[in-house]
Amino acid sequence: MSTSKLFAADEESVLMAFSMEPSHGQETLERYITEYPQHATALIDCSIDLKHEPPADDVPATQVPDSAVDKAWRRFERAVQQPDAEVANPFAKLNTSSFKSLARSLDVSNLFLMRVRDRAIRAATIPARFVEKLASELGATVQAVGAYLQGPPGMVSGQAFRSSVKPSVGEQITFDQAVATSQLTPEQQATLKALSD
Amino acid sequence: MPEPLKSKNKHGEPFTRPPEIEACLVTLESMDVATRLQAFHIASRKSSDYVPSEALTHFLRRAHATGARADFKLLFGLLMKRIGRSLFATVSDSRMAGALDIREEVMGRFAERIAKDCNGRFAMLDFFEVRFDLAFARFRKSVLRQIGPSSVLTEPLCTDGEEGQDISQEVEEAAADFLGGDPKKIDDPAFRLELDGAIDALPDDQRRVVGLLRQGFLTHSQDPNIMTISKMLNCDERTVRNRKARAYKTLRAALEGDV
Repeated sequence: MSTSKLFAADEESVLMAFSMEPSHGQETLERYITEYPQHATALIDCSIDLKHEPPADDVPATQVPDSAVDKAWRRFERAVQQPDAEVANPFAKLNTSSFKSLARSLDVSNLFLMRVRDRAIRAATIPARFVEKLASELGATVQAVGAYLQGPPGMVSGQAFRSSVKPSVGEQITFDQAVATSQLTPEQQATLKALSD
Repeated sequence: MPEPLKSKNKHGEPFTRPPEIEACLVTLESMDVATRLQAFHIASRKSSDYVPSEALTHFLRRAHATGARADFKLLFGLLMKRIGRSLFATVSDSRMAGALDIREEVMGRFAERIAKDCNGRFAMLDFFEVRFDLAFARFRKSVLRQIGPSSVLTEPLCTDGEEGQDISQEVEEAAADFLGGDPKKIDDPAFRLELDGAIDALPDDQRRVVGLLRQGFLTHSQDPNIMTISKMLNCDERTVRNRKARAYKTLRAALEGDV
């Protein structure tokens, strides 16, 4: 996983490049999807948004209340004082059903996604294309998700488990080991392995 | 000259802003601070003196970098008012339950994104200096996805048994003539805006199919060299047709005022 490759194919950069193209006809979209198949849906969404007429004006006679701006300002101030918030768990905002739906979108088992979330997999062995897909589904940047995955393994707080043994943080495993031992179908395993190529 | 963006393209060079934005930044840089701040107050896009949000974002970032706290807070407020106003159209009270809370949540998360950018962790706002509306549409959709589609008043997303579902003849016919019906209506800007809004409110999978059809892509083709919608979305041709039929049914109802 080379850093330059990861940055060059970052979803936001690809979309920025696409949006800067002089034409957004079929040919341009096809070219980008062929070059960046991992960002196909994001590119399609972007092409649709580009086709929309720019609004002549926003909804008239609507006033954004100062209280809404004040609330946003307070959130800004809190966030700006917590520079490490970025490395916070990007999965934290997901409830159980969103977590399961994320696993479905990525076409992986819940167990596999839990291992990713709990950083039970060595970050260096996770293919860049998987990180990109995950970031895209989480609505986060590749860098943010990459930074999180590089943290130490741990158990997610706020979750309750019943167990007959004392909980402990296990050794990290490789991506391939996780693929082989996470109750994935042979097809799912093949798809995930192909991401490493 | 305006400072280059931090994000790099695939050749490793910094992204450049569109020429009209660069020109606007040069003009604004030549003004004294007070005049410039005044210029940002114009809120109507119709005004010839309206300053694009790409430029507002640029000077917001610069105010933070230079420690101009008062200016920063002022520009922050102006930018928030702009996105707040645009959210009235895209997260409207008529289309979504709890729209007020959703709008405030989107604004709050955008404020946090500004904070991340200020902390210099990543170039979190570069896209907003290039194409603000596009970047913000993407941001808004990702927030809506995260806070849950259950709050969005659209048809529930059906994933089970999608492939096997039969399309009724009636829906198929409705789909066939939709959009192709009245060319005059399609040319009407007000109708197009309404249509765009209704398409935007569709579930993601249906919106993509409709968006690609509007761009002229085919549902399927015997020719393997042709890029089709089913290939682009990596799904069966029948699934594409199902999504199209469901989308047209919803759009027809929305545009006829039945929803």
